Amino acid sequence: MLIGTASVEELAARAPVAQSLGGEPAACPQAEVLQVAYESASAHREAALPPALHPTDPPLVTWLFYRCATSPWGSFAMAQTRIECRSGLRLRAFLVSAVVDNAVAAEALQTRWGFATRPGEIALRRHYDSVRATVVADGATILDVVVADPDPLAPADVQYVANMNLAHTSRGLRLVQVEPGYQVHRVERGRPRVAAFDGAAWGDARVAPVHPVSASLAVADLTIPGVRFVCRPDVLAFEGTERVG
Amino acid sequence: MQFGLFFELSVPRPFTGDVERRVFQNALEQARLADELGFDSLWVVEHHFLEEYSHCSAPEIFLTACAMQTKRIRLGHGAVVCVPEMNHPVRVAERAAMLDVLSGGRLELGTARSSTWTELGGFAVDPDDTKKMWDEYVRVLPKMWTQERFAHDGFSFSMPERAILPKPLQKPHPPLWVTVTSPGTELDAADRGIGCLGVAAATYAEQERRTREYRRRIKLCDPVGAVNERVATLNFLYCHEDPKRAATTGLAMLGVFSLLNAHLLSTREAYPTRAYQSLGNLAPRPAADDGSPGDRRAVPEGITIGDPGEIVAAVKRWESMGVDSINCIVNAAEVLPQEEVLDSLCLFAREVIPAFRRGSTC
Repeated sequence: MLIGTASVEELAARAPVAQSLGGEPAACPQAEVLQVAYESASAHREAALPPALHPTDPPLVTWLFYRCATSPWGSFAMAQTRIECRSGLRLRAFLVSAVVDNAVAAEALQTRWGFATRPGEIALRRHYDSVRATVVADGATILDVVVADPDPLAPADVQYVANMNLAHTSRGLRLVQVEPGYQVHRVERGRPRVAAFDGAAWGDARVAPVHPVSASLAVADLTIPGVRFVCRPDVLAFEGTERVG
Repeated sequence: MQFGLFFELSVPRPFTGDVERRVFQNALEQARLADELGFDSLWVVEHHFLEEYSHCSAPEIFLTACAMQTKRIRLGHGAVVCVPEMNHPVRVAERAAMLDVLSGGRLELGTARSSTWTELGGFAVDPDDTKKMWDEYVRVLPKMWTQERFAHDGFSFSMPERAILPKPLQKPHPPLWVTVTSPGTELDAADRGIGCLGVAAATYAEQERRTREYRRRIKLCDPVGAVNERVATLNFLYCHEDPKRAATTGLAMLGVFSLLNAHLLSTREAYPTRAYQSLGNLAPRPAADDGSPGDRRAVPEGITIGDPGEIVAAVKRWESMGVDSINCIVNAAEVLPQEEVLDSLCLFAREVIPAFRRGSTC
């Protein structure tokens, strides 16, 4: 069984503070949701995750974009870099970090759900036969991905995996399980190609996309519910899971 | 009711020394003992790249070793992956026929299409196409085995007329099966007149529904070859006189298997497609499906872990709903010492199998 070997102390140094876990769900109707999956170099598959989590084989990095015209915080966009993993028996994704283009949304996402955010610009450009997504932070392009030839799928064909966000909570350093709900109205699948990715800028230079897998672009009613579970990052989920509220 | 063993050939880390050899030798010893004890069949998976979970990438070779070391037990591919990037259909037919001849006509051929991205992605298989490929395979295999010469112009392969050799010993051909992990595949089996090889833990209610639908539908089938109307299910076996010890030991094995299974990278998780509507998990679902990462797998209904009396009761329940055979995983990543596995098989053969027929001793 593969188990993460990342230093919890090192991860803690870049974890955000999330002292207000829970609260009312955040509803974002008719959100655009772009998910891109790439196989990642396996050399650091264990080293990229804390000991509570298990890597997949092959390791998979996913970029998850939300563009929400309507939300409790107004219009905002968020781009996440995540590593697919397992928490106990559950399919999960460990958040490396996120970029958010709205300071109010970023504050809420950090304090209530443990998202490690930084400000930046996020663009989703739709062309006839492709979609281009870019993330710019501190003046540099840290992600540039093109999704070619989007083709319709049925809403039930796409699946999203819940986050594990490492954050300093009132219970201590915890992996915060964030379980967005997606009421998908329409979805397309395309072929992704990453033109630029700066792992170091996202917080982990070892994340290295090497092989394209899939990309999906959906329109969905997105709901981010209150947090139900947190996990200690240093022990397996069977021992370290705590119910919140 | 018939009883079989089901081999994943899972290998514990670290992959050093002769650990793979030890796992393979232990499985062969279990196969020899099962043959002597009166088990009816043994089944061997085909998986690729699945570290720890299954190092069984060449099942036809393992089955050949089993054939040479056993006398009567039937030998099952559980199952051959029917996509040309992994197995050209001619090679499937040739290898199966050769094994059938060498084993004296003991082959059962399960078919499948793989459910993990690890495997499909590794061979650059388009997940959208695997169901079509599988369908084409099960329709041509009986023709390859029974026609003197075979030609084909199809979706996943085409070929000019050739004699595909050898021909299987069993006439008209070895029984065909399809692995069933998600609801609905039992209908695919029934429509084609092939066996329903359950490889995922199912509840009593789900299995009863699945079996009823299969029996009803196969009456109307358009058979791809000789009809094989049988329903097999997957289970986990650990038998001990002390029910507490049986539960402790057997459920430890189940837990290891469930964890390894849950950590596989399913196609559905990586690649959105209508061709994979479920994750394809073999292990039972968590006890409480509320999303807690702390949940462990539930103990499945009708599990064949317990003392002989408990197991007989469970098997009778499966039998009552029309299940023809139960194939059992008997170890996972060598978590059980080999002696305990062999003792469990002996006790099962002595106390459980006779409840369903005569003639087994240990």
